[in-house]
Amino acid sequence: MWRWATLSPALVLLLALGLLPVLNLVVLGFFDVRWADGRASWSFVGTRHYAALAGDALFGASIANTMLFALGAVAGQMLLGFALALLCSKVTRGRVFWRALFILPVLMPGIVIGAMWKLLLNPDFGAIGQLFELVGLQPVDWLGNARIALFSVVLVDVWHWTPFCFLLFLAGLESLPRDVYEAATVDGADAWQELWHITLPLMWPTIVVTFVFRLVLAFKVFDEVYLLTGGGPGTATEVVSFTIYQRFFTEDRAGYGAAMAVAVIFLIFLMLAAAAAARRRVQAA
Amino acid sequence: MASNNVPLGRRMVLGAGGVLAAGLTRAAFAQGGPQARVAPITIVINQSPWLDSFRRSVEQYERETGAKVDLDVQPFAGSLEKQRNSVRASRGTADLLVMNSGWFAEMYFGGFVEPIHAIEPGFRLDPEVYTLGDTIYFDADTRTMTPRGRLMALPIAPIVPLTYYRADLYREAGIEGAPLTFAQLEANARRLHRPPRMVGIVQRGARGPHTVAFDFYPYLYGHGGSIFRNQAENDYTVTLNAAEGRTALDYYIRLARECGHPRTAALDQAEVIQNVVTGRAAHMLTVVAAWSQMDDRDRSAVVDKIEFAPTPALPGRPTAPGLGHFVGGVARNIPDDRKRATVQFLAWFQTKDAQIALARHGGMPVHAAAYRDPIAEDRRYRWMKPLAESLRHAVNIYQFPEASEVIAVLELGLNRAIAGEITSVVALNDMARQIHTVMAARGYRTGQVEPLR
Repeated sequence: MWRWATLSPALVLLLALGLLPVLNLVVLGFFDVRWADGRASWSFVGTRHYAALAGDALFGASIANTMLFALGAVAGQMLLGFALALLCSKVTRGRVFWRALFILPVLMPGIVIGAMWKLLLNPDFGAIGQLFELVGLQPVDWLGNARIALFSVVLVDVWHWTPFCFLLFLAGLESLPRDVYEAATVDGADAWQELWHITLPLMWPTIVVTFVFRLVLAFKVFDEVYLLTGGGPGTATEVVSFTIYQRFFTEDRAGYGAAMAVAVIFLIFLMLAAAAAARRRVQAA
Repeated sequence: MASNNVPLGRRMVLGAGGVLAAGLTRAAFAQGGPQARVAPITIVINQSPWLDSFRRSVEQYERETGAKVDLDVQPFAGSLEKQRNSVRASRGTADLLVMNSGWFAEMYFGGFVEPIHAIEPGFRLDPEVYTLGDTIYFDADTRTMTPRGRLMALPIAPIVPLTYYRADLYREAGIEGAPLTFAQLEANARRLHRPPRMVGIVQRGARGPHTVAFDFYPYLYGHGGSIFRNQAENDYTVTLNAAEGRTALDYYIRLARECGHPRTAALDQAEVIQNVVTGRAAHMLTVVAAWSQMDDRDRSAVVDKIEFAPTPALPGRPTAPGLGHFVGGVARNIPDDRKRATVQFLAWFQTKDAQIALARHGGMPVHAAAYRDPIAEDRRYRWMKPLAESLRHAVNIYQFPEASEVIAVLELGLNRAIAGEITSVVALNDMARQIHTVMAARGYRTGQVEPLR
């Protein structure tokens, strides 16, 4: 009883700050908000907004693109981050320098990343296009070609967020017990066997946590898409956060935007549940 | 449009009133230490090519009157959000709302703007101030913007697109005269198209808050098309997918593909302008506000090479640029002294002298007399006469608060058509259907024309 009493102020604060905004969003999703005479009027529309989501072509495209984006970007970041962490963990000279160099992109604001890459990728004036021309290649329309625009945004996101994975993996690698490796060396294990039979199993919890963190964050991507492509060309790079932004803010459809946001929260929740189930299955195996 | 339609007698009376109002404003300032009596005001305004000229005008106002004005400068979309947040609060922080054509209807309909005469009953609008499609008025009863309604705002920046073309290339190619018809524009663009070094025309095709749709309006209305049948009469029948709309969109796409920029579907305004100032494009249709970048020796490779013309139209039809202008309205939820101070600024800003000074600062005047001033003959201001001609025919595209929803539909549909994802027929029919859904859901008198085949 006393334990609950002492915990209650923190719990109340946590619930107020964490749950109330979500509850407000859920409630808003059942209303239409109009403004007249300087005042808002809320009219109850039931599940009409949720029903409309099914027919919203932009929302459908954004869900599909976000899935592709999240999986592609997170896979790239995990692989690269792990490889860099492995390399860095074996470096003995200049470790601080290499670490600082590798984490630089994650320190930059997304807005700067977007502006920087938009300039670099511009086929008319960008440095990458000019490099292509120098070696006799035609500049590629990275962001304007619907077939590769999403891939280009994924590449930028991989560049931006790989350091995040790198840092977590490096911390995980450096905390692994040395004696296991020494025993393996005595037993004659080669580098590949060490990686496959020791490092990866021991790193598994870190890998799962990093994957879930990055997947959730990748699902919320906004700034890079907003700056690089604005969701285009067509719907090629439309992602859910950007669609919600347009519906909620640009079009001022607060109720519909809220319903969209709730649907996305639900999707993320499903993803997390699936990831947790997968983790349990792997641990059981 | 401009108040040039007002009968002369009424003009004279209003003109005298305007002069009187301006005089009274000055007299009020001159009499008793304006700092003591005029409340400081905050203007929420967006970052744009004409901001610097407006800022210099504000500084001039402060010098002349001693009043204090703060500029709260935001990005375009951020400006709308800032204004929404302020006017929806119980007490606003923004006094003068500099509202774009994409959202002033939302502010009028929402009751967020105080009519000018409710603040200063004696205020007189200078009759030579452009009323920009009468968008400074709002009749709450009929939900229309006509002079029968109340004066809600004053024009701040008369933004319409103009045709920018390379006069030096015209001379070299022996092309005479400005491209005033669509046929002339296309022929000239094809003639000067030398990819990849030079494209005949560079057009905006990217999706944005009000991007490709805004650049498409002069093509649509110049071909005799429209989005709605007659907004002024509350007839919101969707006419976008009539034959004229198809001709206009096919023309836009044909220019892009055959004599335009290869990345049209991905180009935003900055990139369009960049192509012209770096000498890579022979034509563009873009807002007049970009004029100052053309002759900027630090930024432009085409100094003194660009000429300006009204956007093209079909033979026998006037130019029909869409209004992308800004008007300034006084927020309703601010104290009375700040409301009065804001109206005093507007009264000063609309005067002929202030408007000529604005032009000299690099801005676009909203006063017709400024376009008759000797400054309009100065080569540096060679855009003024085409602009004055354009303003006479400019079209107010939206008169309803759900404009942003319609714009979003247009942005996506046009972008997809230009990118080649869908045909013009599919795009137009699809956009028309969606716009009809938006208008029907909001209870407007709407309908559809026969879909294109």
